[in-house]
Amino acid sequence: VTATCTVNGREHRLEPGETVARLLERLELGGRFALVERNGEAVERAAYGEVELAPGDDLVVARPVAGG
Amino acid sequence: MTNDLLTIAGREFRSRLITGTGKYASFEAMRDAVAESGCELVTVAVRRIDLDARGGGEDITDYLPEDLLLLPNTAGCETADEAVRVARLARAGGLPDWVKLEVIPDPRYLLPDPVETLRAAEQLVADGFTVLPYMLPDPVLARRLEEVGCATVMPLAAPIGTGRGLKLRDAIGIMIEQAGVPVVVDAGLGSPSHAADAMEMGADAVLVNTAIAHADYPVAMARAFRLAVEAGRTARLAGVMAEGEIARPSSPTVGLVTQP
Repeated sequence: VTATCTVNGREHRLEPGETVARLLERLELGGRFALVERNGEAVERAAYGEVELAPGDDLVVARPVAGG
Repeated sequence: MTNDLLTIAGREFRSRLITGTGKYASFEAMRDAVAESGCELVTVAVRRIDLDARGGGEDITDYLPEDLLLLPNTAGCETADEAVRVARLARAGGLPDWVKLEVIPDPRYLLPDPVETLRAAEQLVADGFTVLPYMLPDPVLARRLEEVGCATVMPLAAPIGTGRGLKLRDAIGIMIEQAGVPVVVDAGLGSPSHAADAMEMGADAVLVNTAIAHADYPVAMARAFRLAVEAGRTARLAGVMAEGEIARPSSPTVGLVTQP
């Protein structure tokens, strides 16, 4: 059985010990600001390398876009 | 007047024009207009990344100089809880702890919900955010927002994107008279004359997006708004003359050449 979580509503297969930082790397989201929410809680940027994802996690990855 | 700085939450700005980054034809057009506007504070929205685009697509922050202060907004939020969630996400990810608070349940006129805005403002201030709330120009609500610790109040001149100018001018005038924090006229300003008018009235700053982004030549319009804001502010400080009921001649009434 493969461990999965969801990222922006899409299924994502987890690597063992995958952190938020590794997730962003795998998704090639290395912009100046990648904003991450895990199960409804914002994740601090300084903790991206430490927070490990768990099967069933619901992640939102966002960023600044054009707006008024 | 050369030291006439706008101070928001202890931070000083030389420019009294804040611009939005939305609705431009391209990021290049946005970058050039923002530069020409002279603004030091720009709004951005926060949205989910499109995972189908390589690297999530182009990153707007690649087009914004690092010395600009980014002001994340909560556009798209319809409740206080949603707005608090977006603001926390933005700050946790490294964006400034400043937020343009927008709580808008009404898609037709995009008018903000005053009750939810006040609730969100209270929560965000308690969380340590610098809160700049978008609001209907209601002097009583402005007082309440100020009391809970908002850094500015930002009344709309007319509905977002309409360019109709200072339709709510009298209420904005009362806010200006009574406010203890900067009053930023936000939304509805369609032309530089509207912006100059707001500044002459005593607004501390204006926020403009559509009027620049949708001009035929956004860079030129950005310059026009910069000059208009400077002109209006300078006029305010210079003291605009009182209106009169009847004409008063500007030339001497004695010593006329045609005098008998």
